[in-house]
Amino acid sequence: MATPYYIPETNVPLPPKGAEVITTACDYCIVACGYKVYRWPVAGGHDGGPKADQNAFGADFPVETLGPWVAPNQHNIVLHEGEPNHVVIIPDKETEFVNTDGDSSLRGGCIAQKCYNPQKPTRDRLKSPMMRIYGILQPVPWEFALDVAAEVGNYVRTAHGSNAYGVKTYSYQYIENTYAITKYALRHVNTANFTFHDTPSDVSSTPGFRDAGFDNFGPAYEDWMNAETLLICGTDPYETKTILWTQWIMKGIQSGQKCIMMNPRRTAGVAYAEKNGGLWLDINLGTDLLVVNAIARVIAENGWQDAEWIKNWVNNKWGSSSGFGQGTRNTPWQWRTTWGKFQTNGYEDWKKWLLGQDEFKPEYAAKIAGIDVKKIYTAAEWMAKPKGGKHPKTSIMIEKGFYWSNNTGNTQAISALAIIVGAGGRPGQVVGRAGGHQRGGQRGGKYPRNKSPMKVPGRRRRALDTDTWTMSGHTRFAHVIGTTWIQSMCGSQQLAQRFEELTVGNPHQVRSYDKQDIIDTLKRRADSGGMVVINQDIYLVDPIGNRYADIIFPAATWGEETFMRANGERRLRLYNKFYDAPGEAKPDWWIIAELAKRMGFDGFDWKNSNDVAEESARFSRGSRKDFNMIKVAAHREGKTLHQKLGEFGTNGIQGPVFMEDDGTLVGTKRLHDTTRKLPETGPAAGNVFNKKLTHFNSQTGRCNIQKSPWSLFSDYWEWMQPKGNELWCTSGRTNERWQSGFDDRRRPYVVQRWPDNYVEMHPDDAKARGIESGDTLMVYSDRVPSLKETILGVEGSDYSFSGQMKAGNVELTRAAVTGVAMVTRHIKKGIIFMDFLHTSQPANALEGRIVDWISGNYNYKMGVAEVKKIGVSPYKNTFRSMSFAPRDIT
Amino acid sequence: MQRPEIDAPQLPSKKDHPAGKCLMSRRKMLFSSGLATATVMVTVNAGTAAAKMPAMVTTYPRKKIGKLSALKTDQPVGFEYPDEGAYAQSMLVKLGTEAGGGIGPKKDVVAFNYFCTHQGGDLSGTYKGDTKSLGACPLHLSTYDLTRHGILISGQAYQSLPQVLLEVQGDDIYAVGVFGLIFGRYDNLQG
Repeated sequence: MATPYYIPETNVPLPPKGAEVITTACDYCIVACGYKVYRWPVAGGHDGGPKADQNAFGADFPVETLGPWVAPNQHNIVLHEGEPNHVVIIPDKETEFVNTDGDSSLRGGCIAQKCYNPQKPTRDRLKSPMMRIYGILQPVPWEFALDVAAEVGNYVRTAHGSNAYGVKTYSYQYIENTYAITKYALRHVNTANFTFHDTPSDVSSTPGFRDAGFDNFGPAYEDWMNAETLLICGTDPYETKTILWTQWIMKGIQSGQKCIMMNPRRTAGVAYAEKNGGLWLDINLGTDLLVVNAIARVIAENGWQDAEWIKNWVNNKWGSSSGFGQGTRNTPWQWRTTWGKFQTNGYEDWKKWLLGQDEFKPEYAAKIAGIDVKKIYTAAEWMAKPKGGKHPKTSIMIEKGFYWSNNTGNTQAISALAIIVGAGGRPGQVVGRAGGHQRGGQRGGKYPRNKSPMKVPGRRRRALDTDTWTMSGHTRFAHVIGTTWIQSMCGSQQLAQRFEELTVGNPHQVRSYDKQDIIDTLKRRADSGGMVVINQDIYLVDPIGNRYADIIFPAATWGEETFMRANGERRLRLYNKFYDAPGEAKPDWWIIAELAKRMGFDGFDWKNSNDVAEESARFSRGSRKDFNMIKVAAHREGKTLHQKLGEFGTNGIQGPVFMEDDGTLVGTKRLHDTTRKLPETGPAAGNVFNKKLTHFNSQTGRCNIQKSPWSLFSDYWEWMQPKGNELWCTSGRTNERWQSGFDDRRRPYVVQRWPDNYVEMHPDDAKARGIESGDTLMVYSDRVPSLKETILGVEGSDYSFSGQMKAGNVELTRAAVTGVAMVTRHIKKGIIFMDFLHTSQPANALEGRIVDWISGNYNYKMGVAEVKKIGVSPYKNTFRSMSFAPRDIT
Repeated sequence: MQRPEIDAPQLPSKKDHPAGKCLMSRRKMLFSSGLATATVMVTVNAGTAAAKMPAMVTTYPRKKIGKLSALKTDQPVGFEYPDEGAYAQSMLVKLGTEAGGGIGPKKDVVAFNYFCTHQGGDLSGTYKGDTKSLGACPLHLSTYDLTRHGILISGQAYQSLPQVLLEVQGDDIYAVGVFGLIFGRYDNLQG
């Protein structure tokens, strides 16, 4: 593991002229900047030189600003076909899209340090399958591990039902992998006990968007730049999708864009926006819906709504009921609309409801949200007040800070606001998510919602809440792929305790060297109510891998296999393999295939990742990543899908991809593009057209404008309110660390910056508690709420938080994490902020493990805690690690 | 949480120098040992007339860049180091608060290179006395903490801001080395 005491180098080898140049894109955030890998053998010593004709860049050193400078963190030595090779990985200076100035964040900027190198902290990559025998994880061959897993898995399926077989997986780590995983879990195992890394239930993350008819990733990056007013809720893109900010939004602001940031923290992007004509809506946690609806109210009262747009693009009574009761049954829209609380008859009906709610009066909303009421009026003006008879071009961007606190309500409210300002369907007037992970999901099977026991009386079924299901002891076999699970979910410490009881705490432990004995023991574990855990990952994760798993599968990752994926504007790229995976690590699709074959499933005979990609292509048809025509074009030219996509280099091509009559492939700039003219004759040959190209994703193709009652969430919010000495405790990402820090804690440069989890606090709150920057804090709560059983109730209203409390189905648990105090001016008073997924100090442990009762997602941002100083950290009085300076310096 | 060990760089041993071939260029040492170089520099303490020698001999010049008595708190002074080539512009500043690598009686005098180690933005004129920082870089907003060896506060730099190592002799301040690779260069001393 990396030391916090990083010693920076003072020179770096340069790639020689003639070094191999391999294109790829970053493995981290949604933006997926294009990179070039320069690779040359260590043997022979033919490094490049500083003159243009001596190096692969064709540039004289020292290079110019924005030029191909190579920082030492951008160099590494890897094994390629068994031989040591230098690699230098820098942003592609010639790319025409996304990171257009050859820019990059520090995350992708230092991605060379991700590569396995046994002389560096990445030396602890998993290199061999392992099995827990006599309490210790021991290396075993693939066949051994796979045989045991397959036999035990099949047994659990048949003896305890498919829902006893759980699969918890990432949703994004390349199309080939997610296709294989979902084909196995959904099509073959066919379990409802299935979900992704960021939610306990396989449901839409943005229900309000979906019900309105908005695709999460419709916009093009240029739209964010070209908006005249841009409202960003729940994220500072500078921090977590940096290039989307520095190459697109910042350029918009420099051209006069008015950027409104709804966020309780004033980080670099927020500070920049404020300094350059923008507005900071510094709301209290959980109050977004009130402010959004208050802005909408000001717009409606003044008659500033985009009436023409509304007339053409909003469903009336017949439109919003269209397809209801007929057509597709059991859809989330029907589930949510049978509540009778969201559907409207159109704009006038919605407006009447809005104006009838006192809580949306600006003065009230401002008071609860703790902001200056003038800001609500300003935001409304910028977003909607016509100038010279023309409506401003307004766009709206949301991310997790917004939709993981009042998941259903916030997304409904923001959809309505977007609709009335005319956003969603024109250049520069778009609505969408900024994105977190890249879009690497391709379904190989359908989620069997009918198998979920979570049926609320009178309503349709909802996807299974896999955390509560597991807590209640119904998961007997869990295949965990590329996620920490425990620290990524709310109530982490409660989950960890249960995992321990069900796995290593169960009397049936493997204490034999005999394969059949091992299998029988694990079967008995499952029969006795315990759980068998298979963990598939690139590193051994604490605690799910190193402490609880029975079997470990070592996975290969970025750069070790050729894969496909899309970014936040649906730009598909080929992520080329450029070095050898460590030891016996294999790509996830291969591991799944080997397991599936042994379980007796057909259709897993792929020879390489391209085979998987090509099989999945037809299932992408009609989706936002539709890449089927790339395969068609490839085959016409005698190439593979991967080869053809590779020709697009770092530019890639935006999905859905179409083929013109002359065989050229064209991408789709944006979805819901009402200005786009599709061919009159309709789609030709294998092309698939659907509503979302030029209309919206509803039955009629027009938007549904929805109500968003505060009362459906306010009971949880009011219960959660800090009492006594408590502070709101929320969490999120910070620019320099990606996700759980699985790579960053192996980068000395980043470990030096963020050695431990931190607790951002306002100076007033710190002073009241005798806390200074650098102190070690205990952040704790006695009342982390969590659901005991999969929900309990009779009437519809029983399923609200207060209903579940009344039914005795909520228990209050204790949790505590330590962290280093960061007393700073950039956070709002009354709130503390921590890194959400520091694996040893997960802030998620303090967040309520109560799913949003309508959508099934967690409200990750909602937690409270007390804070006390327990000592002084090593970083307080030494100078080599961390910094306590604020993040809003402009 | 485990405290990991610090990795010591492997320096070439005598057996890497066959007779007649003692002089190995740094680049040659690089490829044959397969390591990126790590120049281990030891921080110089305030007030000592004799500097502690760096672990690996380099040829950084020893350049007088100012006088302690002439410095005013929070008023940076420009200079060039280690040469007068591209990206040599640097700043010397008295922070008024103790800092990593700081010299002078209060250990608060530090010096840093002026070019953002992200894409080479010019940080001159961005010093902030209230936060003892350089930045935000006009290009992509990176900020650096000058009390902590130029560590990134918030931003995109691929390494900490290169710190110019200082030594004091009486009232005279000397620049004696650079910790970290200067932007634009592939080697601090070779360009």
